[in-house]
Amino acid sequence: MSNIPVSAFLALALILFCIGLYGALTKRNTVIVLISIELMLNAVNINLVTFSKYGPAPSINGQVFALFAIAVAAAEAAVGLAILIALYRNRKTVNIDEMNQLKH
Amino acid sequence: MEIAWLIPLFPLLSFLVLLLAGRRLKEASAAAGILLTLASLALSVYVLIERLSGPTFKAEAVWLTIGDLQLTAGFEVNQLNALMLVIVSLVSFLVHIYSKGYMHGDERFPVYYAYLGLFTFSMLGLVLSPNLLQTYIFWELVGLGSFLLIGFYFYKESAKHAAMKAFIMTRIGDVGLLIGMILLFWETGSFEYDEIFAAVRGGELSGTMITLTAILIFVGAVGKSGQFPLHTWLPDAMEGPTPVSALIHAATMVAAGVYLVAATFPLFAASEAAMMTVAIIGAFTAIFAASIGLVQTDIKRVLAYSTVSQLGYMMLALGSAGYVAGVFHLMTHAFFKALLFLAAGSVIHAVHTQDIEKMGGLWKKLRFTGPLFLIGTLAISGVPLFSGFFSKDEILIAAWEHGNTTLFWLAVIAAFFTAFYMFRLFFMVFMGEARSHHKAVHESPGSMVWPMAVLGILAIFAGYVNTPWFGTFLGDWLVEGNSALGHGHVEGPAWIMIVATSVSLAGILLAYLIYGKRAISRDGLITSVPLTYNVLKNKYYIDELYHYTFVYGAKAVSLFLRFIELFLVEGIMKTVAALVQTLGKTGSKIQSGQVQTYGAIAFAGLAVLMLIFALTGGYL
Amino acid sequence: MDMDKLLSFDWGLMAPEFLILGTATILAVLDLFLPKKINRQVLGLFGLAGIVAAIVSLVFLLDNETGSILLETFRLDSFGKAFKLLLLTGAGLVMLLAIDYKPNEGMEEYRGEFFYLFLTALLGAMMMSSSGDLITLFIGLELLSISSYILAGIRKKNTASNESAMKYVINGGISTAITLFGMSYVFGMTGSTNLRQIAAALLNVDDSQQVYILGLAFLMIFVGLSFKLASAPFHMWAPDVYEGAPTPVTAFLSVVSKTAGFVILIRIMFTVFTALPVDGEYSQTFLFANQDYIGFLAGATMIIGNVIALRQRSIKRLFAYSSIAHAGYILVAFSAMSFVMFEAIWFYLLAYLFMNVGAFAIIQLLTMKEGTEDISHFAGLYRRSPLLAVAMAIFLLSLAGIPGTAGFIGKIQIFIGALMVSPAHYVLVSIMIATTVVSYFYYFGIMTQIFFRPAAHHEKIAIQPGTAVAIIVSAAATILFGIMPQLAYGFLESNFKAFLDFLA
Repeated sequence: MSNIPVSAFLALALILFCIGLYGALTKRNTVIVLISIELMLNAVNINLVTFSKYGPAPSINGQVFALFAIAVAAAEAAVGLAILIALYRNRKTVNIDEMNQLKH
Repeated sequence: MEIAWLIPLFPLLSFLVLLLAGRRLKEASAAAGILLTLASLALSVYVLIERLSGPTFKAEAVWLTIGDLQLTAGFEVNQLNALMLVIVSLVSFLVHIYSKGYMHGDERFPVYYAYLGLFTFSMLGLVLSPNLLQTYIFWELVGLGSFLLIGFYFYKESAKHAAMKAFIMTRIGDVGLLIGMILLFWETGSFEYDEIFAAVRGGELSGTMITLTAILIFVGAVGKSGQFPLHTWLPDAMEGPTPVSALIHAATMVAAGVYLVAATFPLFAASEAAMMTVAIIGAFTAIFAASIGLVQTDIKRVLAYSTVSQLGYMMLALGSAGYVAGVFHLMTHAFFKALLFLAAGSVIHAVHTQDIEKMGGLWKKLRFTGPLFLIGTLAISGVPLFSGFFSKDEILIAAWEHGNTTLFWLAVIAAFFTAFYMFRLFFMVFMGEARSHHKAVHESPGSMVWPMAVLGILAIFAGYVNTPWFGTFLGDWLVEGNSALGHGHVEGPAWIMIVATSVSLAGILLAYLIYGKRAISRDGLITSVPLTYNVLKNKYYIDELYHYTFVYGAKAVSLFLRFIELFLVEGIMKTVAALVQTLGKTGSKIQSGQVQTYGAIAFAGLAVLMLIFALTGGYL
Repeated sequence: MDMDKLLSFDWGLMAPEFLILGTATILAVLDLFLPKKINRQVLGLFGLAGIVAAIVSLVFLLDNETGSILLETFRLDSFGKAFKLLLLTGAGLVMLLAIDYKPNEGMEEYRGEFFYLFLTALLGAMMMSSSGDLITLFIGLELLSISSYILAGIRKKNTASNESAMKYVINGGISTAITLFGMSYVFGMTGSTNLRQIAAALLNVDDSQQVYILGLAFLMIFVGLSFKLASAPFHMWAPDVYEGAPTPVTAFLSVVSKTAGFVILIRIMFTVFTALPVDGEYSQTFLFANQDYIGFLAGATMIIGNVIALRQRSIKRLFAYSSIAHAGYILVAFSAMSFVMFEAIWFYLLAYLFMNVGAFAIIQLLTMKEGTEDISHFAGLYRRSPLLAVAMAIFLLSLAGIPGTAGFIGKIQIFIGALMVSPAHYVLVSIMIATTVVSYFYYFGIMTQIFFRPAAHHEKIAIQPGTAVAIIVSAAATILFGIMPQLAYGFLESNFKAFLDFLA
């Protein structure tokens, strides 16, 4: 492990973040959008854990932060899906581009 | 003078009472309003009498502390304030009485009186303010009162537009005032007039800063006093009830701009450039508005343009270091212009139209209004022995003595125009044949005639407090104890008075020949006396000559200026408005309802910021 | 951490939070076990009582020395107290609206949730204002966000409400991720999540690479948090969400949630980024060197908010844009960073709280009565209900910043603050004044409707007691703080001593 440079981990996190962002901004299916947001949050976790082990000032706090972030992300996903289900019941669709009743 | 702070509270009380109990009081609201304004008037007169002998009184308390900054609130009674208090409360009182008859039968009668109370309160508060911040607060409240009253006939689409326009246009000026005020605060550490003047005297401000702040404050005055180029709201404001036009858009609120310049006069006096700006804008507005007045056919709009023009005179006076002349004209103008508006209201009340083409021959039918209107017309035209004559003379002398020769001649020409269009108005309304068949035309009720009579007396005699013949009492008193305000009276060459008188008379004569002569021909003078007939016929040729050369020339200039007003001033306004509208439209369109677009725009924003950050190496 | 250590903390500092937490828990349990037929509006009153109790306990804490517990993660300083007071007052007024809120389709089965979710959201906001650690700040932020997502979608059968919640979740998720990404860099460069330790560590950063990364983190955190403020570039969700959400929730988002956004922004920016030196020089700190970014976004926010508001027909959308514009005004105070910044922001948020909640109270009354949210429902309000019209006029005048109201004092202080620093922010002040003039058009457009337009019908408007209290309190406070702002400033001065303990 230790011969992999820190920058590789950070680059991985950045790429994952960008993939997540791309998915969140382009996918039609709302479920995929929610998953993409999860990807972005997980990129953060990689960052935190990397810094906590190999950063300029390593400390355990980063891993604690990552645990909290995971828990919160789970809660957010749960609420997001719940709202999506409510929406599906009324609209019979999960396509994000059809949610345009409120505009202008 | 310690009780001067009570003066604005009576109208405020009137506002609150009528707001809460107006519906129950119905037309008895007028009594409440009139009595409370009378209390204000009585107290104002008392304060003025006391101030005539006593020194300036000032009281204030700490209002707000933020960190080390301390702002105070209070009131001050100096010569200018004391005089304005009486003018405002007197005109307001008379308008309150007059409105009882004029607004009779309007279902929103109590609301009208409530608004009048709000306005009077704000105006009196403005006059009493000892510092810029307080002035600004009341300045805005006055604008609010004006907004509500212009829009009073809200079922008329034009009234709604006029109300909005007046509010927004004057706000543009207020922005200048606000910035100037904050800059002054920042330079001197105080909003107090006294401390600002002390700082100016002590040389704490650089010359540029004095000029800048003075001009910014003047921008506020330009908005409020309807000076070019922010004057277009004032003629539109005539959509309000006529007594309101008399009170707000002739005698008091629009004069607040002049008052502000007068109140901050030592600041202006310290900057030659600022004074020059005030004088030029004033003189230009005077002739500009007067020439537009030549071709208007709506009785109230003629008076509105004449107000703009007269306010320009006052600005010219102040800009020519004629402090006394400006304040003096402010006073006489308040009386004769209020009179003219109330008389116009009485005419409108009688014939139910504002178009002077449809009037005529009302002299005999309106036995009181006619002579009173004539008094106002004579006063504004500067006919000797009427109040306007003395104050206008002072202004011309001030302009001449200050060395503004061009501006002086502009003012003289404007005086000629004024005399002409005012008498044109008079002849078309009161003389000649009735040009349309009215139902029975009645003179207005006593509640409307008496206030006009009081103003009529003042329009004749108010000038005698400051004349070259009977002593310059007002001038000496106004500048007492404050050398920064200049002299009580400036001696000018005697020919100025002669020139002023002759242009006024020339204007009246011309108006008579063009618009009044039909009255003569009907009387049969022409046929019965051949000699006179010939003379008149010759005059007729002169008249024709005038008509084709001068009058058409003047009309052309007037139309051209009106064109500038419509396309340049309003054009710029409209372009800005359109730009804002387009921006709004585009922004609204981007708001497509697609949540991913929103996220993308947020991310794009972040990306742009990061790009700037990267390109600038981290620091802007 | 053993029991003794745990007990040795001065838990009294957290009394207001415990009260809110306790009330929320009890409400949740009560809602679960109370029989169906009992009216859940009682729960709202109970929640209100909890908020009042929390305010009282906070008032008792005002004299306390600045203290911190739980290893510096919870910090009760004057900043926390002052802003908690705002949050609690705002939430209390919103609760009054919530009690009287009755949508057309009814919301009986989830009435209880409606109340305690406000409390959990409030709890999150309060935690943020007192936390001294990135983790607790983040948890507070998410507690507030997640509760608000549900609140926005609480009208389960209403498609607009569903959609607004969905949009809120998606944009919120993205903003959270961006903020967290920035925070992870801050942690990485300093090795700590505690704000004060971060600040201490940053003092020693002299590697320009690290400063550069921290600069990117600064931008990410700022843009991420601008979601909570509803300021550019993360403002576009606001109109849609405000329109679809139930009115009390809209009021909550525009008042409490926005205040919380400024709280976390100031906490992070002023402890972390003021510590970072620029180019190894201590004369200028990173935040001051980069205030132009904030100024730029403040200008954009004011322009966008005020200009687009001109086009709106729906009163709630209009207020969404107005709320964006007000975030811009407050950002002007923030980017000027004068020595009266805390006072200016606090007072503006106080004024904004009253004028906005008051306006939403009236909006709720009218929209519930008419069923739609078109501005034309304000037509002839003066004839139908003069008192409501006058109250609405007070709120609108204050929002527009007319003298005599609290909004004016707030604005003028922002002006003074922005002009007193050197170099003075002339451009920002000019934009602020120009856009304020633009805002007169739409505020006075509503005024014209109220006063100058005949009503479509003359049906009287019944005012429920809770809403009435909210309107009266808001109107009175708007006028009172407009005429005697010294009350608020004096209170600030005597209790919070110019926020000197913020960094100490």
